[in-house]
Amino acid sequence: MTGMEVGLISVILILILIYSGMYVPVALGLVSFFAVWYLRGSPEPSIYVLTLAASSSLEDYIYGVIPLFVLMGMFVSQCDLGRDIYDVANYALRKIKGGLGVATVAANTVFAAITGVSIASASVFAKVSVPEMLRFGYTRRFAVGVVAGSSVLGMLIPPSVMLIVYAIITELSVADMFKAGILPGLLLAAAYIVAIVLMAIFFPKYIGGQDEASRAFAEAQGSLTGKEITAKVAPFIALILLVLGGIYGGIFTPTEAGAVGALGAMIIALLKRKLSRPVLWTVLRETGRIVASLLLLIVAATMYSRMLSISGLPLELGNLIIDANLGLIGVLALYVLMIIVMGTVLDTTSIILIMVPLFMPVIAPFDVNLIWFGIITIVAAEIGLLTPPLGISCYVIKSTLSDPTISLWDIFAGAFPFAVIMLLVLIVLIAFPWLTLALL
Amino acid sequence: MKPSVAKLFHNWVFSLSGIGTIWIFLMMVIINVDILSRMIFKYSIHGVTEIVELSIVGIVFLQLGDAVASGRLTRSDGLYNKMLAKSPRVGHSLGMFFDLGGAAFFSAILAGVYPRFIDAYTRGYYAGTEGIFSVPVWPIRLLLVICCITIILVFLQLAWRHLTQLRNPQGINS
Repeated sequence: MTGMEVGLISVILILILIYSGMYVPVALGLVSFFAVWYLRGSPEPSIYVLTLAASSSLEDYIYGVIPLFVLMGMFVSQCDLGRDIYDVANYALRKIKGGLGVATVAANTVFAAITGVSIASASVFAKVSVPEMLRFGYTRRFAVGVVAGSSVLGMLIPPSVMLIVYAIITELSVADMFKAGILPGLLLAAAYIVAIVLMAIFFPKYIGGQDEASRAFAEAQGSLTGKEITAKVAPFIALILLVLGGIYGGIFTPTEAGAVGALGAMIIALLKRKLSRPVLWTVLRETGRIVASLLLLIVAATMYSRMLSISGLPLELGNLIIDANLGLIGVLALYVLMIIVMGTVLDTTSIILIMVPLFMPVIAPFDVNLIWFGIITIVAAEIGLLTPPLGISCYVIKSTLSDPTISLWDIFAGAFPFAVIMLLVLIVLIAFPWLTLALL
Repeated sequence: MKPSVAKLFHNWVFSLSGIGTIWIFLMMVIINVDILSRMIFKYSIHGVTEIVELSIVGIVFLQLGDAVASGRLTRSDGLYNKMLAKSPRVGHSLGMFFDLGGAAFFSAILAGVYPRFIDAYTRGYYAGTEGIFSVPVWPIRLLLVICCITIILVFLQLAWRHLTQLRNPQGINS
């Protein structure tokens, strides 16, 4: 067999194993291990590459950034900050049509700037804003749909674990990836908001709660004094200044910013009396489990990407695509389509780790900006959070709500318009690369 | 596996992840202390970078046993769960195969990590810069060896559970 054939068979085998339920890192790592063994004719090079991936390459300062930002996110979820920002957004946006929905998006956008995991946003806002919307007559589907749709913002707006993972595997700067995520994140939030207002005007029945009585009721509720608003917003400003300000002010490395942010969030949790010793222990253990499975995934993906380059498959694939005269747009369309299909059953990190090493050499001849390519990859992969059968955000919302009258199907159906908006925003991002690169 | 041995092993896995958990917290503290000392005393603590670099491997491998045992490794189990419900025999066979695969994967890592530990120990490797800050590398390598063996055993235990399910038809129906 030629190297390319071995590479191709390995990729197909990996996908089959993953789809049938094998642990993603084990499928990636083990198949790659045997592929390198076959290609090199003895097990030693395989063991060498694997050991390098599992220990030496992990001994890099930049990996410290992952546990620290996950820890920060876990502390932030303990603080009830989601409710605070939602109250403020509600108050500020109460006169707008579809106000509670718009407020959910706005609150999520701000919340995304202090946390890096979509799942965290989904579970926090499922608890905070779904009951509120239902209380004021919004329909179930719309309420859960908004929460699912806007949870995606957590991965796009820095700090974001997904931006970090992409930066690490492509050896780009984490700070640059963070900057690149800002405008696309805001654009997506703006698109959601416009869509919600339009829906409220043209399809008030779909959203619900748009009749005069419920609007007046909603407006009368939840009025806040200036002092209350300050108290609710201050922790956000402090954390954003500390973490993002610290990175862009050149005071902190991203790893240090993660440590400072985690400590800051912990102090806020302590001040708000949300952190008992058992809670601290739970937070730390949960952080540990997330970090272990995330980093093992990166280890396995490093092995896989070495296997790919040894096999020469990505280069051959690149030649094939150049011969097919698809052009950059054609290649990207194919790439995005593949990612969306994978997104129906796979989590975002796995998709990125499988697809990026395969396609990076393919797009190299087109001389595209890898940061832009990263944002496109992440947005495309995040669409999968909202699509059945395995939209992880939707599952998280379902399990957080534990309301038998809201079915998983309701959540998927509710999230669907938002998945479509994501796709439209993705097309805009592909058409106008400067949207991603303007802040760099 | 006898219950008492299983219990002991569970405690062992749990303690390892506990150490990893505290380690993450300490890493956060150390980095913050370094930043504070840099800002207030204009003095940067030597070795923080090296400590963080060596910590990641330790943290990950210490937690992995527990992550595997509690079913937290990333997987797409929609199809697998359906299979398990529809045809437990096929499902448990697949499950056993996957867990044995996990054991094989970490055996391969162990095969690479063990000689590196022996090297680091016998030749006295150090990380960091000579004269400013340096730590011996062998303890972290030894930790890797211990954790790898633990993770392999966790996978084997999971595989064993599938096997007992396969051999016990009543268990399959329940």
